[in-house]
Amino acid sequence: MNIVWTVVTALSLLTLTFTHPQSVLTVCLDSCSQAVTATLGLAGIYCLWMGIFEVADKCRLVEGLSRCFEKLNKWLYGNVSKVALQYISLNLASNLLGVGNAATPSAIGAIAEMEHGEKLSRSGAMLFVINASSVQLIPTTVMGLRASLGSADPADILLPNLIATAVTSVVGVALVFCAYGVAK
Amino acid sequence: MSYIVPLLLVFVLVLGLAKRVNVYDSFVLGAKKSINLSWTVFPYLATVFIMVNALHASGLDAWLTKIVAPPFELLGVPREVVQLVLLRPFSGSGSLALLTDVYNSYGVDSYIGRCASVIMGSSETVFYVASVYFAGTHVRHTGWAIPIALFCNFIGAVVGCLLCRIM
Repeated sequence: MNIVWTVVTALSLLTLTFTHPQSVLTVCLDSCSQAVTATLGLAGIYCLWMGIFEVADKCRLVEGLSRCFEKLNKWLYGNVSKVALQYISLNLASNLLGVGNAATPSAIGAIAEMEHGEKLSRSGAMLFVINASSVQLIPTTVMGLRASLGSADPADILLPNLIATAVTSVVGVALVFCAYGVAK
Repeated sequence: MSYIVPLLLVFVLVLGLAKRVNVYDSFVLGAKKSINLSWTVFPYLATVFIMVNALHASGLDAWLTKIVAPPFELLGVPREVVQLVLLRPFSGSGSLALLTDVYNSYGVDSYIGRCASVIMGSSETVFYVASVYFAGTHVRHTGWAIPIALFCNFIGAVVGCLLCRIM
């Protein structure tokens, strides 16, 4: 992340200095303001979902969910703590339901529970890849945009999209197994 | 489909009531945790946004698109959506704007428009997700995680465009 960020940013700002020197500072400042707005948006989303998750947890609903996915998660992640497994199950359920916003706080919870060193563990990499290859049944945002722009059939991308996400998920999980071996 | 999430919310609340959980206090407790999380995420977001916006404003992304377009075309990804494939790992709002542009220029239901839809739906903002996920941890070396995720996005684009041609 360090190298990618520094090289890309430095190169871009250098180019920008030669083409539009007056816009360098504007771009940087706008980005920070944009981050403030985005954080406030995220704070609202996290607030709702973490509130709901807490209630679900107190109802022992999360525990039940965790039991449902136990076999699958043991195979994917190996030996991780019970709390981490609960977060992972919540994350998987949110992803499958297409509520990507709810998937984020649970994934962060799981990562915080599993990661203690500077080097990302196998289970952390697995969770990241599964989320980044987006197990998504219904691409709500894309379909909404298509509908608003007058598509004849906004849902006609559903099947190719489903197959494509299924392929990326399988490839992602397989590559984690290749790179890190079987879960211990 | 639009009933699933609302019903889920009501279900959790009603279940809490049935199980004699203090729903109000629990919700507040959970909501309270979200403040800390948002604080942790903020500086990482700002940092990633600077990179993304600088890359876009400098025009380097358009230049990069020109270079990598031929090999992508060889794999069946149309030239018009290559920029979307490249921008997608960095920025959700940026790629959504680009998707709208593609729809407006080539038509929502055109082959190009459908390719762009599937690319968008089957990929994720890898760098953004990484910065948010690892914000609260000491993780500095992410190893294979990011390369694998980027490769998945790429596979999604290639497979998606192929499927759009035959479906």
